[in-house]
Amino acid sequence: MALWRNVCMPILGASLLSASIGVGTSQAAPSQLLILTEDVPAGLDIDGPSIAIPTTQEGMVQLLEPLIDYTPKGMNADGVVVPDFSRPRGRLLESWSYDPATLTWTLHLRHDVKSCAGNTFTADDVLYTWARAKSVSGAVPNAWFLLNMSSVANFSTAVFDKNPAVSGPARKLGDEITKVDDYTIKVKQAQPNPLFLVNMAVVISQGIYDKTDMLKHATPSDPWSHDYANNVTAPSFGPYCVSKWVKNDEMVFTANPNYYRGKAAINRVVMKRVPQAANRLVILRSGQAQVIQGMTAHQYDSLKSAKGVTVGGVYGNEGMFIVMNFKTKPFDNIKLRQAIADAIPYSRIIDVGYAGEAKQWKSVIPTTYPDYVASDDYNYDPDKAKQLLAEAGYPGGKGLEQYADAFKLTYVAEKEATLGPVVNAIRTALVPLGIPVTLNPMPETEYGDHQIVKKDLAFAINDQEKPIGVDAGYAMQLFFVSKEAGGLNNMENYANPEIDALWAKAKLETDVTKRNAELAQMQQILMRDVAWLPVVTFKTQWAYSDKLKGVAWVPDNSMRFYDLHY
Amino acid sequence: MIYRYILRRLGISVLQLLGLVIAVFFLIRMLPADPVARLVGMNASPAAYAQAAHSLGLDQPILIQFLRYFGLGHPAHGLLEGYLGVSWVTNTPVLTEMGQMLPVTFQLLGLSFLVTLLIAVPVGIISARRPGGIVDKAVFAYGLFGGSQPEFWWGLLFVFVFFFKLGVAPAPLGLVDPMLDSPPTITGFILIDSLITGEFDVFVDVLYHLMLPVLTLVFILSGPIMKMVRQNMIRALQSDFILYGQAAGLSQGMITRYAFRAALAPSMTLVGILFGVMLGGAVLVESVFSLGGIGQYAVRSVLAFDYPAIQGVVLVITGLSLIIYLVLDILYAAIDPRVTHS
Repeated sequence: MALWRNVCMPILGASLLSASIGVGTSQAAPSQLLILTEDVPAGLDIDGPSIAIPTTQEGMVQLLEPLIDYTPKGMNADGVVVPDFSRPRGRLLESWSYDPATLTWTLHLRHDVKSCAGNTFTADDVLYTWARAKSVSGAVPNAWFLLNMSSVANFSTAVFDKNPAVSGPARKLGDEITKVDDYTIKVKQAQPNPLFLVNMAVVISQGIYDKTDMLKHATPSDPWSHDYANNVTAPSFGPYCVSKWVKNDEMVFTANPNYYRGKAAINRVVMKRVPQAANRLVILRSGQAQVIQGMTAHQYDSLKSAKGVTVGGVYGNEGMFIVMNFKTKPFDNIKLRQAIADAIPYSRIIDVGYAGEAKQWKSVIPTTYPDYVASDDYNYDPDKAKQLLAEAGYPGGKGLEQYADAFKLTYVAEKEATLGPVVNAIRTALVPLGIPVTLNPMPETEYGDHQIVKKDLAFAINDQEKPIGVDAGYAMQLFFVSKEAGGLNNMENYANPEIDALWAKAKLETDVTKRNAELAQMQQILMRDVAWLPVVTFKTQWAYSDKLKGVAWVPDNSMRFYDLHY
Repeated sequence: MIYRYILRRLGISVLQLLGLVIAVFFLIRMLPADPVARLVGMNASPAAYAQAAHSLGLDQPILIQFLRYFGLGHPAHGLLEGYLGVSWVTNTPVLTEMGQMLPVTFQLLGLSFLVTLLIAVPVGIISARRPGGIVDKAVFAYGLFGGSQPEFWWGLLFVFVFFFKLGVAPAPLGLVDPMLDSPPTITGFILIDSLITGEFDVFVDVLYHLMLPVLTLVFILSGPIMKMVRQNMIRALQSDFILYGQAAGLSQGMITRYAFRAALAPSMTLVGILFGVMLGGAVLVESVFSLGGIGQYAVRSVLAFDYPAIQGVVLVITGLSLIIYLVLDILYAAIDPRVTHS
């Protein structure tokens, strides 16, 4: 009884008391915001081991300030602000110029910019950031990668040479990037490449560090402060600073009082991990959280009629496509690929997988990017699919049974809620044609290994690849140029000398009209060969309090807290 | 005698842990995926891949990797020094991460087992006192029902009913309201830290936030414990020494106390085993209530192929389970001296 009196009663009493007085109801004050996510940032280092995780990127973009971004174009029908990719604007840059004769960019930096720590931004911060990139001292050479893709001189693969006599000097910043004065920098390119400016807008790779703060936390064993950036903060000149970070649980951002564009309207943002999507949904509906993300299209759809909740989205750069591996028979047969493209029930997939918030995708680059060229080659047409199947040498699917293993349609098991109905719709459409499709869910990390490293996924659904550098050429180099010609993530093992040659020309082309024509021709060839089978482009969505305004989309798909206000 | 018994058990535990370390290290490397892929993402040039593999130490032969992990290679910083490595996802020492997660799970389980025992033991005793009575029948039905329920489903149901519909429970937002400032970390146990620092509002808020997760676990755990107490009590009440006590005219209360002492040892074993199992097995309740506990950490580590974290979790949970079983055995021996004699 004593135990009951001394222990249980106070606990029960406290619980009832707090329920009655409303302790712990997370009603955010007007200057605060609670955002519920499926995870919180695992690290904040540009070259850190968690850079590929979306929530890590979402944390980084609140802290890191880029050199440029894109001018807002206006709101779409959902009330989400979208960028105008034809109008890059300076952020840490005030202006820039390019001299084609010497392949040199001159960057003029902004004055009177201060970091969270109060340090003043100068050319030294940019040089430090790029020297760090070239040191390839982190877990992954992410920052180096985009500078290499931008053809910045001496950012070559020599940094990885096994011979220290080669890699050592190659990892040091030379005269390719020089400081003219505290607010002027010159950058030399090895060859003309318009990707330089495009890539400078990619914050998660090219955000600028606060050199003074980074050096303060450097150690002899970690001279580039990777531990600090991975575990404490990414010190920069951005709109927010980290005030609390419990990994796997929550991250708290406080507005940078020194921010040069003005202090953020929302002073404190709490990013809280709520792993269950159903809980994120009910907490938003209760009014205790202001933003949720990482829901399925059907969950967003269910919130559209909820009181006090807005669902906003944008057709940005997310799409779902089918991988058919050219190295796996019978997918080396173009006619068979075309037959499958004509057998996909696009409208049904849009309904069952995306609650209507998707469109048929008609190219291999995002629909909103400049130089996107739509192809009308493929539509749901089972009769045409049967005819193409016969032309491919498999009338009525006869002969395909020997490739049953190749037709295991692989997808990420963790995305069952969205992709489950999609793969079932595909299977239901293909089996009657004689194509022996079976389903093969696979854990995400295992899927990534097969896609990125082994490149042996024979037949798979993918909805997670999006080129965040806004350029059709960049996207096609990533996914379709052969490995020998500089391709990186050619998961389908597509090798076409015509594409390689066109990219080699387009990459160096300074005449915009000619480059656009080359990029359009590449897209037509890729669609003809069904290098990927683009299925749908779907909306990137968020659900948020209807009192919240200013939601904007950027190509990395991470919401910017700075844009938000009540 | 008891000291020799404890020493022998400790020796066996060390051997068990050693075997486990070796098995886990080599078994997880047989998983069908390469963790490097997750790091490099789209930037998967051979050079980038090699760089990432090198940063994880995966470019070394597996025996060298094992020696390094164990603390016998270069750098000599490993398991022998209590160093569990750095997580490949967060780049934070595994021990630091588990130091944050374990207190969350301990607080959840501690309160849940406390409440469960306070309910299940008296109900089990009452049920045994009148076999076939209303209470006994109810315990039988509930024991069957409660033991067969999926805890995550009840958790979600409780959230829906008590938070969303009735509004009497807090949102499933972890241990404490995220808009509240938590007390500074002293012990890692927020209930204790809030009391030490005098932040009673936080203390109350933590109890409030633990209300539904504790209720969920109590609902699930009470069934088997009630049944165990009931059965052991019935057996004890039928034994000769109780018959002798009754014949000697002892009061009903004293009879119950003697019988309960005899019934305690096997019931305690069940509680200990359940506690050990729930250390990692509370993962679904942790997930439903957004509690960043050790079960959540284990699942995240496995899904990300985060080898150091997986090894650390397995080792620490096993170590804790061995300690729990050891304590149980010692208590058992203290209650029943025949154990040590045998």
